[in-house]
Amino acid sequence: MAMKPEDVLRAIAAARGEAICIPTMTTAPAWREIAPDDVSVTCVGFMGGASAMGLGLALARPDRRVVVFDGDGSLLMQLGSLATIAGAQPRNLTHLVFKNGVYHTSGSQEIPGGLQVDFVAMAKGAGYRQAYAVRELDDFRKRLPAMLTDPGPLLVELHTGLADKTPMTARGGLPFDRQVETLRTKLVKPR
Amino acid sequence: MAYDMLDLLTGGNRMPESIPAPLIIDTLKDTFREARQALAAEAQEPSRHQHLGWVLSVPDTHQKSVLAALDKEQALRVVTCATEDEATTAAAGLWMGGEPCVLMIQHAGLYASINTLRGVALDGRVPVFYMIGLLSREKDKAPRESRHSMVRYCEPLLDTFGVPHARLEGPNDVHLIPEYYRLAQKRRGPAAVLVGLETL
Ligand SMILES: Cc1ncc(C[n+]2csc(CCOP(=O)(O)OP(=O)(O)O)c2C)c(N)n1
Ligand SMILES: [Mg+2]
Repeated sequence: MAMKPEDVLRAIAAARGEAICIPTMTTAPAWREIAPDDVSVTCVGFMGGASAMGLGLALARPDRRVVVFDGDGSLLMQLGSLATIAGAQPRNLTHLVFKNGVYHTSGSQEIPGGLQVDFVAMAKGAGYRQAYAVRELDDFRKRLPAMLTDPGPLLVELHTGLADKTPMTARGGLPFDRQVETLRTKLVKPR
Repeated sequence: MAYDMLDLLTGGNRMPESIPAPLIIDTLKDTFREARQALAAEAQEPSRHQHLGWVLSVPDTHQKSVLAALDKEQALRVVTCATEDEATTAAAGLWMGGEPCVLMIQHAGLYASINTLRGVALDGRVPVFYMIGLLSREKDKAPRESRHSMVRYCEPLLDTFGVPHARLEGPNDVHLIPEYYRLAQKRRGPAAVLVGLETL
């Protein structure tokens, strides 16, 4: 049984501590409900950008863990970011790929290659320090502390079902520029 | 001869000149030094980094002498990105974390990443600062009159998206680097300087 993305997100919310989380696509509305005060940046308007945004944040703030909640379709759109991230070797970056096999947000069309696409092999091939797949919630809970502390870049392919909501069915949340501003203010802490 | 005088004599079409890499690098260092000072005045905590700032590069043939010189440079950290989309989005991440950076790309890379410029830099109001090489730009022509579509569309495209831009047409123009960097910060959006001729 594939994991429910909301269950995965609730476990992360409970364990994340100071981590900066970057949801994209169907993890965005769920994360907004689960962690409303979080320093997250949702990336709906520039599909595929979550991983590189995570890279920039991780390089800027080596003292903070950065956790990207990527979509499988989104990662395919900027697949080169695996090599870019591996090249920059941010030790504080955790890259979670919510693998549901489809472009859920745009109407659940199958992604090229469907569930056959092996993001673990791709991340390893690109040079991530660690990459593995997780299929069961219990296993996810067990391994989560290490996902948040092991040296990165680290990719975890999460086998999930479909989220209850998508950014299309559950609009709302702060406009993107306000999210950016809020996160910068939290990180830079103006006097 | 003073540039304005030359402009007068040539009807505003002064001949562009190549800019030496060390001049660009020193100017970038000064620009980032100033940015760090501004940030130190703004932020409660000091920067965690030893270096002055970041160069996000998808290698631009036009600025390759700068990239080669950057290999030996400790004060500027270069991150080579696979795509200009990644470079733009990573720049936003760096900015949110309080780090100065510049995107070093070529015109084709701007075309390739225009949705990210829109979605990240414009919609997110992120001061992404670009140095864009105009590869194949003819010395005796304004870029808008170039034979090459690659060169021709760059300035009109930036105009369409409301991105302020200026051209570095020689060593005397490097003051535009800090000026446009500051302009990006002030407007909270993208700004670009275009490198007219291949750097030396
Ligand atoms: C450049 C671009 N092309 C196409 C789209 C349309 N689109 C919006 S959401 C989406 C699917 C996202 O799929 P995935 O990353 O797998 O996330 P999921 O919805 O499955 O969580 C697509 C194709 C877009 N937003 N941007
Ligand atoms: Mg998907």
